[in-house]
Amino acid sequence: MAMTKSAFAIARRYAGLLRVQIRTATIGAMQYRADFVVRGFIALLWMVVALVPLVVVFGARQQVAGWTFAEALVVVAWFTLLKAILEGAVSPSLTAVVEHVRNGTLDFVLLKPADAQFLVSTAKFEPWRIIDLLGALAIFVYAFRLLGRWPHPAQLALALVFLVLATMTLYSIWILVVSAAFWVVKVDNLSYLFGSLFDAGRWPIDIFRGVFRGALRFAFTFIFPLALMTTYPAQALLGKLAPSTALYALGGGVVFARVARQVWKRALRMYTSASS
Amino acid sequence: MIDVKNLSKSYRVHRRAPGLGAALRSVIRRRYETVKAVEDLSFHINEGERVGFLGPNGAGKTTTLKILSGLLYPSAGQVRVGPFVPQQRDPRFLQLITLVMGQKQQLLWDLPPADTYAMNRAIYDLPRAQADETQKTLVELLDIGDLINKPTRQLSLGERMKCELVAALLHQPRVLFLDEPTIGLDVSMQAKMREFIRDYNQRFGAAVLLTSHYMDDVTALCPRVIVIDHGHLIYDGDLQELVRRVRPDKRVSIRLSVPIERAQLDKLGVVVSADAAHVVLSVPSGKVNVVVRDALATLPVVDLTIEDPPLEEVMREMFSAHREGTRDRAVP
Amino acid sequence: MTIRRAIRAYPTLLRVGLSEVVAYRAEFLVWILTTNMPLVMLAIWHAVARDGAVGRFDQKEFTAYYLAVQAVRLLTSTWVVWQMSMEIRDGTLAAKLLRPVHPLYAYSAEHLAAVPLRALVVSPIFAILVYLAGDRLAIHDATLLVIFAASLVGAWLLIFFTMVLLGALAFYMESALGLFELWLGIHAIFSGYLIPLEVLPPWIRGATRVLPFRYMLGFPVETLVGLETHASALRELAVQWGYVGFFFAVSLLVWRAGVRRFAAYGG
Repeated sequence: MAMTKSAFAIARRYAGLLRVQIRTATIGAMQYRADFVVRGFIALLWMVVALVPLVVVFGARQQVAGWTFAEALVVVAWFTLLKAILEGAVSPSLTAVVEHVRNGTLDFVLLKPADAQFLVSTAKFEPWRIIDLLGALAIFVYAFRLLGRWPHPAQLALALVFLVLATMTLYSIWILVVSAAFWVVKVDNLSYLFGSLFDAGRWPIDIFRGVFRGALRFAFTFIFPLALMTTYPAQALLGKLAPSTALYALGGGVVFARVARQVWKRALRMYTSASS
Repeated sequence: MIDVKNLSKSYRVHRRAPGLGAALRSVIRRRYETVKAVEDLSFHINEGERVGFLGPNGAGKTTTLKILSGLLYPSAGQVRVGPFVPQQRDPRFLQLITLVMGQKQQLLWDLPPADTYAMNRAIYDLPRAQADETQKTLVELLDIGDLINKPTRQLSLGERMKCELVAALLHQPRVLFLDEPTIGLDVSMQAKMREFIRDYNQRFGAAVLLTSHYMDDVTALCPRVIVIDHGHLIYDGDLQELVRRVRPDKRVSIRLSVPIERAQLDKLGVVVSADAAHVVLSVPSGKVNVVVRDALATLPVVDLTIEDPPLEEVMREMFSAHREGTRDRAVP
Repeated sequence: MTIRRAIRAYPTLLRVGLSEVVAYRAEFLVWILTTNMPLVMLAIWHAVARDGAVGRFDQKEFTAYYLAVQAVRLLTSTWVVWQMSMEIRDGTLAAKLLRPVHPLYAYSAEHLAAVPLRALVVSPIFAILVYLAGDRLAIHDATLLVIFAASLVGAWLLIFFTMVLLGALAFYMESALGLFELWLGIHAIFSGYLIPLEVLPPWIRGATRVLPFRYMLGFPVETLVGLETHASALRELAVQWGYVGFFFAVSLLVWRAGVRRFAAYGG
């Protein structure tokens, strides 16, 4: 049946599946209503807390590593936006997969005639992250008001492309992390690790250049995808992004996604040959 | 329909001695052992057959089921289900089978089973009308109409397993893999499940592979059994034949109106159990007629029945015989 | 009676705790990598201080400060909140309550057992700290070093008991973990974790002297990095241990009340 379907039919099927998954995940999340409000409030508070270092740093200086306060705010806004996507859609599914592996219920996912990666990625999400999204929007608006200008449509378009790219990269990193969970079953902390590494993306990447030359080069390899996710989109929006960098980033992101999928498949193979 | 040839499966397990020294050492270096779960298994199952997998814990039953459903890759040998090789996980193969594991559910925890059914309908790409019809039939058969709209976490284990069955069978699979499906259920629920599985098998002609600890499951459902011990197949055939072969003795169960001296009972046959009013004798099949005639003539019999020995005993004897046979073989 | 039994059982509890830490070595590594915020902040302030000091903090001072934060944080943080919250939710705590030893002994033993391994991991950081910024540290001042050691112990205890308190809130509410996140956020600012307290605006600085957060992190760090005099350090030490006592009492009270509620409602 599946073999004779055209690509379009497959896309339609998965779109329909996505709709069902989102519906199910939303109902599931709505089961804990009180949580919704509390979590939303906490999300807002975290945003404020996150802004404090920025305010303090730029209280001491007008410019840091070539970025002004308003420009840095744009980076923060992107960060908040992506954090909302990370913790709203990507991270919940991560913890769900780890739970599945631990309880032995991942088998049920593998028995379904749909792509396992798709099923686990769309299993859960947290709707109160919408508040984070709104917060990000607010910071965007404030930053551009400080700058006294608004982004051109072309810059906006490029920024949106980067949004897609960033989400894809974020997701790929997550797939890598989940695949690691197959080897080391009890990795609850992995989502925290991911979140903490991601936290560095709050700052324009230029700040990290040239610091502790040797040691940070290693960190840079992790932070570089972060540059992709927060600094580059901000630069795109501000019109400061070199076209070559943009192309380089796009290519890199696509490659990264492919690598991640291969690792996931490898991890599944290992799971199915080693588990009992 | 299911074809297994020379199936073997072994995997590496991390072994660590207890104690602090060993614990610290394992931080640096881990020691692994190879465990042979299944060795050189071969059998064939036809469409619509009901087969029971018997064996002690760790015999390799669950491993075999998982290999058949494509969840585990075999280390050696060939496996076919229909025209498919399970480990390739062809979507058509996955539509063909279902796996039910006792005490584990695919039902979504926070939501009513009905939502899981809706999701499965989408995942298995079932036409709405057909899925609704199947769901209705199954729900009626299992009598869970008022349960499917309650959140799964609020259901008891028995209720959950019933709802689980609907989720597992919504796509009308032709092969059912049931791994200890009745474990943890009370006796009446176990009986209901057995009845349902038999119904499903007859109605839809689906092959059923069942592993179970409960001999009643096997006795009630499976005319054919495959016995596995330590990963080896030690019997494949008719259940009754197995009983006859391993324990050719019959059980004669006599209820007496008056207590009788032990010596007198010993003359008739081997006494398995004897209390004031009830005696059970173990008698070779050939001598049953003679013993029954003598008992009726010499004892104050109220009631007398001739039974097969309980399956547990048969199995126990079978496994100990098998183990004695393999004791001389070298174990690595 | 129970205390004596607890003391007898404690070595075994410690041993078990150590085995657990070793068994979950990957998790341990992951957690260490998770606590990287101080390094990130260091990188940022390093860049800021390139053109000149911020207050009394020049680049070296920032290095000293944040490496010290990293070390102290790794040594003193606990996971008991998650543990308690999970065990209360899934009812495992019920089993622990049936034991003749107070569950808190078990929790504390697990966490104490982790300290040697953490100390092992933290030593390189201390080494780097001394190498990079030795002249700014209080290592030549024996009194301050002793006070620092005492403040480390105090910080560990203070964090442990406040975490027990927060964990015990899981007896009362579903979103206890959410509250904990709130706590983390406030802690990040008011303990000196994100930013040296001296660099913060004066009105926040005032609050930090009063709130307990500073004594979980900022105070030990500032002692080590030579920002305290003998007199002020001793004074602060007294305040810290005052807080330790306070949270010890409060956490036990809330725990007891929580357990009673747990038993009443069947968890």
